[in-house]
Amino acid sequence: MHETITTYLRGQVVEEELHLTLTELCQACGMAEEHVTTWVFEGVLEPFGQLPQDWQFSGPSLRRARLALRLARDLEINPAGVALALDLLDQITELRTRLGRSGKS
Amino acid sequence: MGKRMGKRGIMEFKDYYAVLGLERGATQDEIKRAYRKLARKYHPDVSKEPDAEARFKEVGEANKVLKNPETRAAYDRMGSQWKAGQDFQPPPNWDAGFEFSGRDADAGNSAEFSEFFEALFGRRPGHTQTHSHPHGMHAPGQDHHAKVLIDLQDAYRGAQRSISLQMPVLDAAGRLAAQERTLNVNIPKGVREGQHLRLAGQGGPGLGEGPAGNLYLEIAFRPNPRFRVDGRDVYFDLPVAPWEAALGASITAPTPEDTVQLTIPPGSAAGRRLRLKGKGIPGKPPGDLYAVLAIALPPADTEAAREAYLVMQRDFNFNPRAHLEG
Repeated sequence: MHETITTYLRGQVVEEELHLTLTELCQACGMAEEHVTTWVFEGVLEPFGQLPQDWQFSGPSLRRARLALRLARDLEINPAGVALALDLLDQITELRTRLGRSGKS
Repeated sequence: MGKRMGKRGIMEFKDYYAVLGLERGATQDEIKRAYRKLARKYHPDVSKEPDAEARFKEVGEANKVLKNPETRAAYDRMGSQWKAGQDFQPPPNWDAGFEFSGRDADAGNSAEFSEFFEALFGRRPGHTQTHSHPHGMHAPGQDHHAKVLIDLQDAYRGAQRSISLQMPVLDAAGRLAAQERTLNVNIPKGVREGQHLRLAGQGGPGLGEGPAGNLYLEIAFRPNPRFRVDGRDVYFDLPVAPWEAALGASITAPTPEDTVQLTIPPGSAAGRRLRLKGKGIPGKPPGDLYAVLAIALPPADTEAAREAYLVMQRDFNFNPRAHLEG
């Protein structure tokens, strides 16, 4: 009889444990640095640090950048439109959450 | 064995015009407009329609074929006698004289296409790595993404999951194939919806001596009929009888983990939130669990029940609309 030992991989929770550099964020989203740079200038992403090589993106930026990428690509929205869409989606999420807090239906 | 059918397989015919709500004679502009409108309507990040993702894929596939005059002409050539859902087999040499490969610039979208699409237009390579790397070149592998569905309880306790992933790999002939592999992963306690787990080195293989990419797992919660989640806080509706709300009561209420003894203060109104500190999703600090009171009205379906309501009516002198008057 063989005894198999299953090992379970341990990951890091990006949102809580990590900051990403520009290169890491681009690698994680499979996109070019100029996309990210454009979104930083539109205020879609807000890294710490002055120069692009010093930028540190908070963990939640990963989700935001991927969302921005999908909207830009799938709906052919320009950077300003993406920024607006993300702000509106944030508002919708906030309103839905408020509904959930006060009991549904 | 793969599920994919050969070129002579039988599959359901897809009416791409109907998918976009168009007639066969639609202009390219009409196709573009219809696609844009439906893409916004069904985009999974924006839409709350239950079948948004499937519809979005379908609309994308229809657009893919119809927006390009070449593929549209080839599709049209199969004739208009086909109806959506009919068993379909591509006629022999249906695509003679057409050349589609590698035309599309907007790759990067690794959407899956229907069997119908793949039989006609082939499997789209998606964003593959370029094949022509010179020897001796080193580059890190691509980062991959996948979604993991967990239960709210898993976030409370932590969990271990085996996840099956379809990894795109290039076979010996340089064609793209899907390879399945299973990963055993620890889901950490306290993880929240929408967060990502990074598994270093579990993404695409590196080139040359380049390191492997990372795998990001996005956490999603299975819908829970009872509990709603807001960050680390969790809410649920707690029905109480009118007398429990009016007089106060001590009741047993469910939590995602077990049950808890809850004191309803006298004079509680519907919608009142009772906080169970620290009983939300664990973390530093842990979230709170909120019971949102809902007053359930007992039906007046027996003589005794009707009598009880009549007694209330006589004794209370209660006008619930007093504030609307005057």
